[in-house]
Amino acid sequence: MSEARHADGGATSTEHTAVTTRRESPLRHRAFSPQRIAAICANTLTELTRMKVFYFLLLFGLILIGGSVFLARFSFQQEFQILKDISLGSMSIFSSLLAIVTTARLIPQDIEDRTVYSILAKPVPRFEYLIGRLGGVLVLLAVSLVAMSAAFLAVLYMREQAVLHETARQMSAAPGDQLNQALQAIRESAFNLNLFSGIAIIYVKACLLAALTLFVSTFATTSLFTVVVMAFIYFIGHLQGTAREYWLHQHGADWGARLFLAFVALVFPDLQAFNFVDEVVVGTAIPLMLFLKTVGLGAFYVVLYTALAAVVFSGKEL
Amino acid sequence: MTNAAVSVRSLTKVYPLPFRRRSVRAVQDLNLDVQPGQVYGLLGPNGSGKSTTLKIILGLVTPTCGQTAILGRDSRETASREAVGFLPENPYFYKYLTATETLRFFGKLSGFHGVHLRQRADDLLDVVGLTDARNRRLSTYSKGMLQRIGLAQALIHDPKVLILDEPTAGVDPVGSREICDLIGSLRARGITILLSSHLLAQAQEICDRVAILAEGVLICEGPLAELISMPNQTELVLENASDELLGKIENMIAQGGGRLVARRNPATTLEQLFLECVRSKKRPR
Repeated sequence: MSEARHADGGATSTEHTAVTTRRESPLRHRAFSPQRIAAICANTLTELTRMKVFYFLLLFGLILIGGSVFLARFSFQQEFQILKDISLGSMSIFSSLLAIVTTARLIPQDIEDRTVYSILAKPVPRFEYLIGRLGGVLVLLAVSLVAMSAAFLAVLYMREQAVLHETARQMSAAPGDQLNQALQAIRESAFNLNLFSGIAIIYVKACLLAALTLFVSTFATTSLFTVVVMAFIYFIGHLQGTAREYWLHQHGADWGARLFLAFVALVFPDLQAFNFVDEVVVGTAIPLMLFLKTVGLGAFYVVLYTALAAVVFSGKEL
Repeated sequence: MTNAAVSVRSLTKVYPLPFRRRSVRAVQDLNLDVQPGQVYGLLGPNGSGKSTTLKIILGLVTPTCGQTAILGRDSRETASREAVGFLPENPYFYKYLTATETLRFFGKLSGFHGVHLRQRADDLLDVVGLTDARNRRLSTYSKGMLQRIGLAQALIHDPKVLILDEPTAGVDPVGSREICDLIGSLRARGITILLSSHLLAQAQEICDRVAILAEGVLICEGPLAELISMPNQTELVLENASDELLGKIENMIAQGGGRLVARRNPATTLEQLFLECVRSKKRPR
């Protein structure tokens, strides 16, 4: 038997030579490696891209084109407001949906397919695997929002130019100052910096939802369970601000109630706090401090839910 | 623990069944040592605790009690997996990746990058015979091809210890033979191999030492040659022996106090016959 084995080994001598070629060893194991996280992140992005999740952008484009054709019959202020409302609202819904649906399947699918065994059998700490997976989703969300924003701003610019030309034509006989004032009013009602603040907050909200979905998926057994739980959290998150105000108004603000409400707010983030679409649409300025506080709150939730996911996943039997 | 490449001490794993107020004892008080350079077979029927033991060694499952180590490092440390490659049972990799992308992904996880990684991936694709299929997505791969790419990813970081869970499960005899040959060549270069299998003929061919588990308990363990040898019997294989010579030998055996147990013409194995038939008709890959 032994002789037969050696004879077989001889038959694969070419293979043997290739396998035995010793190369320089990689660096010593590091407890934290951005390179490993980047590899998992890039792989997640490849996975989601090849699953053709960007197809939903076509739907966004259709809504935008359809909306802009429909809006041509309104005054320019109404037209710009409705266009911003539809576009920012769609961006918020699409990015939230994308965050939940794509994140929900990542961990349960890897466990079901056993791909997670091959990854964690390498010197990869579990928290790096989770950060890499989440990172891929966050990059996908950023790319999607950039694409949607570009489409939205392009349509808004085209409508603005059309209205400017039309106004200039209609007021060709008016005095220069009057014409300039009219054109300036059109420009101001189309573009302002608040648009970018609003889009940034939509991204922060989507990141928060992705991190929360990751946390839920670490103890869920199926993607469907995660999506259903997240649908509940999404609605509770949008309603809890109103419920909190009502509660405090009815029952006063003793410390017990405040503690309870703080706990509820931690488990179910107040998603209404991340909704600046109305302010952006009507052109109300978003104070810098409010913007920074909202971004900070979003970042806090992302870190909190990722840390909780890491704790749950570190003890999970695979 | 010891100088063993893989050591298992007093290992027990109990899976609770919460709604039934019962528990399943997957592994019970298991002790093993796999010495460097050995091909060690963990044998047993389905549900005997082989895969659970391998998962605990790899840190994928936490033991209820006991300890496991790879090259002296506790399995619970992530760094212990630096020197180990793992091929899971029925491996299922990201099907949207090509073979090259898969190897580069796993190489990056192991700390490789750049030209070195590309070269290493190319070498391993050659070793497992997938060079021609390198740019095909894994969704188009057969089971045998997936097993081979699984073996390549297990080897991507040049590990000292290789853990293979049912490495030939579901693979046709030709693919199975190639994997056995590869295991032989890896052993020749000093890689320690711990494998689980319930294909006993293959285990007998490639293992130096085996442990047999049943219901999570170690039943039998030792060097394969010793375990299966029959010390009171001797086998002679003669070529071109005439009937006259055979008669003389039988007489000598009787006169010497021995007993002829069987006289037959040796036969080739069914596997050997199959391989010869298939290889003579083999299409280019």
